[in-house]
Amino acid sequence: MNVITHLPAPSAAPLYKRFRSARGEHLLVVPHSRLFDLPPEVAADLDLRPEEAQRLASALGETAPGEAPLDLVVEPQPQSLSLNVSSACNLACSYCYADKGAFGGKQADRMKHATAIAAVDRLLTVADPERPITIGFIGGEPLLNRALIHSVVLYAGRAGNDRGLDVRFSITTNGTTLLPADIDLFRTHPFAVTVSIDGDAATQDAQRPDTRGRGTFARLVERLAPLLAEPGRAQVAARLTVTAGALDLATRLSAVYALGFSEAGVAPLRTAKDNANIDGDGWQAYLDELIAVARSELAGARSGRTIRLTNLAVALKQIHAGASSPYPCGAGGGYFSVAADGHWYACHRAIGEDDFILSNSEGLDSHRRRRFLTARHVHAQKPCNTCWARYLCSGSCHQEAATRTEAGCDFIRGWLTFCLAAYCELATERPDYFVASYPIRGIQP
Amino acid sequence: MSGSNSAKIVARNVAAFRRFGDQSGITQVIAGNPAATRLESGVGNCFPGLECDLRNLERRFFPFLEAEAIGNLLLIVAIDMDAVERGGAAGSVTPADVAVYRTLADDVAASRFVFVSRMAGSFGPLGQMAFDLALIAMDGEAEVQGDLSDTSSGVGRRPSDAWTAIRLLTEGIDVTLTFRRQGAAGARPTLTAPRARYLDDNGALAAVFLPGELTQSLCSPWTHDFRDCGCFYWASNHPDIAQPVLPSGGATGQSWQRDVPWERSARVVGIQPPEPATDTSSQPVEMRHYEINNRWQELHFVLGRREIVAPYASGATAPGAPLQNLNTLIEHLRYAAGVELAVAQEYLCAAYSLKPITDPGVAGNAALRDDIRASRAELMRIAIGEMRHTRAVNDIIRGMMPPGTFEPALRVASRVPGAAGQMRDVSMRAATKAAVKDFIDVEAPSAGVDGLYSRILATLVAPPADVAPLATDEWREAIRSIIAEGEDHFQTFLDMQEWLQEHAEAAYLRSVAPARPPAGHAAHLELQTAYGGMLESLRDGYRKGRFLGATEINAARTSMVMPGGIDVLADAVAGQGFLVVFDPPAGADFAPLDPPA
Repeated sequence: MNVITHLPAPSAAPLYKRFRSARGEHLLVVPHSRLFDLPPEVAADLDLRPEEAQRLASALGETAPGEAPLDLVVEPQPQSLSLNVSSACNLACSYCYADKGAFGGKQADRMKHATAIAAVDRLLTVADPERPITIGFIGGEPLLNRALIHSVVLYAGRAGNDRGLDVRFSITTNGTTLLPADIDLFRTHPFAVTVSIDGDAATQDAQRPDTRGRGTFARLVERLAPLLAEPGRAQVAARLTVTAGALDLATRLSAVYALGFSEAGVAPLRTAKDNANIDGDGWQAYLDELIAVARSELAGARSGRTIRLTNLAVALKQIHAGASSPYPCGAGGGYFSVAADGHWYACHRAIGEDDFILSNSEGLDSHRRRRFLTARHVHAQKPCNTCWARYLCSGSCHQEAATRTEAGCDFIRGWLTFCLAAYCELATERPDYFVASYPIRGIQP
Repeated sequence: MSGSNSAKIVARNVAAFRRFGDQSGITQVIAGNPAATRLESGVGNCFPGLECDLRNLERRFFPFLEAEAIGNLLLIVAIDMDAVERGGAAGSVTPADVAVYRTLADDVAASRFVFVSRMAGSFGPLGQMAFDLALIAMDGEAEVQGDLSDTSSGVGRRPSDAWTAIRLLTEGIDVTLTFRRQGAAGARPTLTAPRARYLDDNGALAAVFLPGELTQSLCSPWTHDFRDCGCFYWASNHPDIAQPVLPSGGATGQSWQRDVPWERSARVVGIQPPEPATDTSSQPVEMRHYEINNRWQELHFVLGRREIVAPYASGATAPGAPLQNLNTLIEHLRYAAGVELAVAQEYLCAAYSLKPITDPGVAGNAALRDDIRASRAELMRIAIGEMRHTRAVNDIIRGMMPPGTFEPALRVASRVPGAAGQMRDVSMRAATKAAVKDFIDVEAPSAGVDGLYSRILATLVAPPADVAPLATDEWREAIRSIIAEGEDHFQTFLDMQEWLQEHAEAAYLRSVAPARPPAGHAAHLELQTAYGGMLESLRDGYRKGRFLGATEINAARTSMVMPGGIDVLADAVAGQGFLVVFDPPAGADFAPLDPPA
């Protein structure tokens, strides 16, 4: 892996975060996200002597063997791609960032077969053969270019088999055009299927109408039912967009679980043309709602159930492992999004934005890529680089960074603080949850 | 073994464990020697070395000041103003002294020289005196030679130089320093304070010394004058003389016991021993300066006074006979854990039987006080070592057992191996001379506990069929560590025997034959409750294993050292004139354990 440069954290960057759970006092060592339990007297002592706590955290936060240093800007090999296969959509969600796949006119056509195959070929050639390789389909509504998807999956699956590669697929779909053949494809390949659904019928129909203004809930449920009933190799999850006007998460998630989804995640709308995005005081209300549904999931987990809310499940998994990254996602690093015209962008949200094009006719444009990775490292982001959550949130979505607000950041910190405490509580009450789900090397369950 | 600073933080998530998963990673971040390191822990055989420059101990002889002695000059290099201000706020430093410290600190911060021009105090055997120190020429004034002359002899003699003077100062007795500040020839401020301590109550280095401070002036063997300097500033104190490398076929005569120059120029390891060291040799038998620059790698390691050129192999421990099968091995391991617990209790009982150093009969007798303090600290250190062995043995047993079948080994042995292969009953008693003799026997190489572990190690090295798949390097190393620490315990008890033999038992013991507390004794009962709780925490923690049980194991540890914990409760029982004993809690988990047949 090419090291581009060192980018140290500013000296003012906090090295620790103190927090409390029902199980006692804890210390998050910010670099490498290490968690420690503190005896009460030590916690009280450290709270009185922040310089001592900073010194302790500095020792505990040193990079251990096998860990990636946090101040390096590196240029990894691409490991996953999303193909923007369709520039059209049969729905007309008011908040859509992709302008129904047209990206403000910058992607007027759908992707051609040769473009997709060329991108897949390039990915399979450069990716690390020892690690999973992921090919995603995105749009617009990707299933409007169904023939291409089927063809690419068969091609990449066969190529992966021939070369001994672990090739996986993902798709984000509104589900309303699913055909039995699509479901067969998902069931017979390692597919992560994310279905965009905003909740109960009323919310879904209001927020996600079709282009003629009709509700889509009934159609979606009907098309999706066979897949939910029998997913095969597919892992099916729901994704709910939360707008300022519809914060009742409990009702909406219940409706989604009732359809047979075993997992669902919520995503707040941060930018929207129709001003439906969450802002200002809305963030606190949203946090309260999210914590309320998370608490009910945790209660279930304590009695032996799995956590269905992916926001919580993923956060706990990451905290357990000590996930710690200077980037919020793989954009421009291990992940790229290919536009219909064949250009490689840093991410699917950025299609059509010149600053985010990272390829040229020769392949990846190393110069542009290095500039992007250096600029997007969390140590280069203000005020993120002096935030305790900098390696957990990592500055959040590049696309939304420009619209970042203090209230939005407070929401993220509030949510992470909740999850840190929840982790300490659950890990004490149900240690097998983590050991069984995410084994620690050398530790027997 | 007191104070909340002993409480541990407990790793919670995988990332926290990862930080400590690799031993090399751990050693990278340990700053300086472990807290338990003593000045006498060094490997050098000529000097009381800690691989440190002993002169650095004197840099902080005066409260809040850091001074550098250069010949007869004594230069102030730093002032801990934070500590001065805190002392001022707390009333332990007078406002006038705070002002002087601040003046000096301002000078140092502005790179102006501050020298000690005169020192008055109690200089050990030389008595109370005052003298001028040297000063460089400054502010138009001539250089001052001072009263010290690099020699020290005769009636009324003074220390030979500034460092020796400081070395001689008596701890805790007032010293008065007069300062000469560059740019302020007329003003000569003074400060008076007790000579600071450089060891803490346990004989460890005082916390005032920062990691790296004692080694900061050390040189390296490849420097030019290595051969000239006998003392002070070599990374490991090097001997002038050592016994030569033994011939590969074994020593054949008395001449191999001779002392030879360690830095000799002739480096041949042959069938004849090198010429012995003399102080009148006409030949330059030592390497010359230029040779040291090039040939320092050829200097031999010295272990036990003798040079070695091959990996060191201890011949001290005779291998025991392997045990016949896994069941027998487990049985011996469980018993070994019980022996660790039993001897830990004997050592604790002995430690608490010692008089406190504040006892009126002790406080005025420095030799007695120091011997008691050192004995108590060592007994505690060794008892804690045995507790760690208990943990290690439990880890091994867990590793040997099929998943889900492990039960913690926390039954205290009823009898322990003693001298010459004899078993003796566990006996709770004061640290009498007879008791210390028994401790020596139980820790003696090839006998006592060592013999028990030798057989366990032999079983792991040459395992029977059902042990073979389980006999990993990790377990072998763990047992080797226990054996090695037993050797350290043995040596320490020999030292303790020497310290205490000068004193009557009645002089250093609270009572020569204290009784067990009577039935219903309140302090004793309180201690038993805490002890039982501690064992239960350990049992629960061991059951959960290394990762999951950390919280319980830490709770057990904290229950010993926390304010009001077992340490304090045991001290209370001893303070009332009784033996500190630990009764087995009810239940099969903690019932006394007999040796294997």
